[in-house]
Amino acid sequence: MTARRALELGPRYLLLALALVLFLFPIYWMAVLSLDAPQTPFGLPPKLWPDWEFNNFASAWKAVPWGRYFLNTVFIAAMYTLLVCATSVLAGYAFASMSFPGKALIFACVLGMYMVPQEVTLVPNYVILAKLTWLNSFQAQIVPLGASIFGIFLMRQFFLTLPKDLWEAAQLDGVGHLRFLLLIGLPLARPALVTVALFHLVAAWNSFLWPLIVTSDDSVRPIQVGLSSFAAADSTQPVLLAAGAVMTTLPILVLFLVAQKQLVGGIAATGIRG
Amino acid sequence: MEPLSSVSDRSLLRTAARSGPGRSAVAAGWQGYAFLTPALFILVAFLLIPTIWVFGISLFKWDFIGDPEFLGLRNFVRLLTEDELFRKAVFQTLYFVVGTVPTGMALSLLLAVLLNARLPGRGLFRALLFSPYVMPVIATTVIWQWIFNPDYGVMNALLNAFQIPGVGWVRSADWIMPAIIIYSLWHFTGYNTVIFLAGLANIPPELEEAAHVDGAGAWSTFWKVTWPLLSPTTYFVLFISMIGSFKVFVQVYQFTLGTGGPDRAAETIGFYLYQEAFQHFRAGYASAISVIFFLIIVVVTGAQMRFASRWVFYR
Repeated sequence: MTARRALELGPRYLLLALALVLFLFPIYWMAVLSLDAPQTPFGLPPKLWPDWEFNNFASAWKAVPWGRYFLNTVFIAAMYTLLVCATSVLAGYAFASMSFPGKALIFACVLGMYMVPQEVTLVPNYVILAKLTWLNSFQAQIVPLGASIFGIFLMRQFFLTLPKDLWEAAQLDGVGHLRFLLLIGLPLARPALVTVALFHLVAAWNSFLWPLIVTSDDSVRPIQVGLSSFAAADSTQPVLLAAGAVMTTLPILVLFLVAQKQLVGGIAATGIRG
Repeated sequence: MEPLSSVSDRSLLRTAARSGPGRSAVAAGWQGYAFLTPALFILVAFLLIPTIWVFGISLFKWDFIGDPEFLGLRNFVRLLTEDELFRKAVFQTLYFVVGTVPTGMALSLLLAVLLNARLPGRGLFRALLFSPYVMPVIATTVIWQWIFNPDYGVMNALLNAFQIPGVGWVRSADWIMPAIIIYSLWHFTGYNTVIFLAGLANIPPELEEAAHVDGAGAWSTFWKVTWPLLSPTTYFVLFISMIGSFKVFVQVYQFTLGTGGPDRAAETIGFYLYQEAFQHFRAGYASAISVIFFLIIVVVTGAQMRFASRWVFYR
């Protein structure tokens, strides 16, 4: 590396390193707290090195039905992600590659609905779910959220990049849309589909507001609602709460670190065209 | 994307060709709707219909269970003229938007510009800066509540290190909103950084080099060349951050443990709506809040779109 280049990169690295410390400190501190001795979690100046008290995790695990919450969350997240992927692929393909009357108008309406915050529909959706007798169930946490405008948009953007002659050749050969999509479009769309899947997997793992409202029982509650009520209990010791926070964060953080290229790259790709 | 030549799709097509007859345009049109049906069914049933229906419910007094009582526009009259708490919630929401959107955009643009170079370890930096965004808001808020603890929190310790007296943060009506704003910046700045980075990567380097050759410094090259070319991305980030900030809920809920904070100082529109609907079971009144909330979002987005045509530069 030449001196000039080092001079150029040095300040960049310094600023980026500073930003990184600020961004990662809370995550580090969460880990430290979760391993502190129960009597002395806090102090001034703050303790930056743990006591390696791994018992915290065992005690936290016993305090609330985490196993149940984890199973619920995994099941909900898996079903939700599958549903979102299916609806996004079909609709994204239709908007990108099929022609039918009213397509542009329907697409504009779908994008327009992106403006509606979830909060606005909470009351009517709660009533709809009550009428379906779906309150406090798994399907209440899967079906109403099963179509994602972001997912449809991302899949459409991808299918738009498929060369037209590919479909024309298929059409000449008499292949219908569904077969074309399943045999050719979908394998090619794998990177985009993985992005949609990861994005919604993360969203499902972290979802809070909707399950908070539509569930009332531990048997169907997901992990974030469980953590929130664990945090609200007066008897919860800080170190155990930190251990709970680590437990609910670790799976998604590991998933992210393994798949960050697809997730981050895919999100970058939507931004370009936005 | 991989080119097709490597795959045996062509032969696949030929095989498929022999088995099926060609489809007419009418059939293709019908198929389009069929493909859209699953997504549209869910969007209509759980997004469009509720959005329209909420206008209807807002005209009633209703506790979710008994018979609704028709009030006409009285919910709205009360909301807009008498309800101090709603006024406060609107103000706090605007406070949150103003506190997070411009600062968040400036911060993420700065980080993106810093990362936009042939930098060893660039991918790692990008991933680590992004990581707070994938972490659950509840779990991370738990940690940040301790960071903002007035007695033993890291934030006040840091301030004291610079000879600045600490403040009450989560226990103070004046400082709980800044605390939530700082937390939110931490949470979503990495996301915006990634989008800005993608926008910067999309600008042909020749343009910046040409400006450089013409004797423009880094500063003026950024403002005269990069900034205008980046404007579609900037607009996109502005759009999603505005909507995201108006909707703020989970961090308010968890920071205040479902109370709205000391003196309800962290009450936002989304949170007030939640409280009215699901803590006090006032479905009609909460729906009126939803309607006003929706109208605010529509007006803000509309204004943004109108304004955008003046400064967004499309190549």
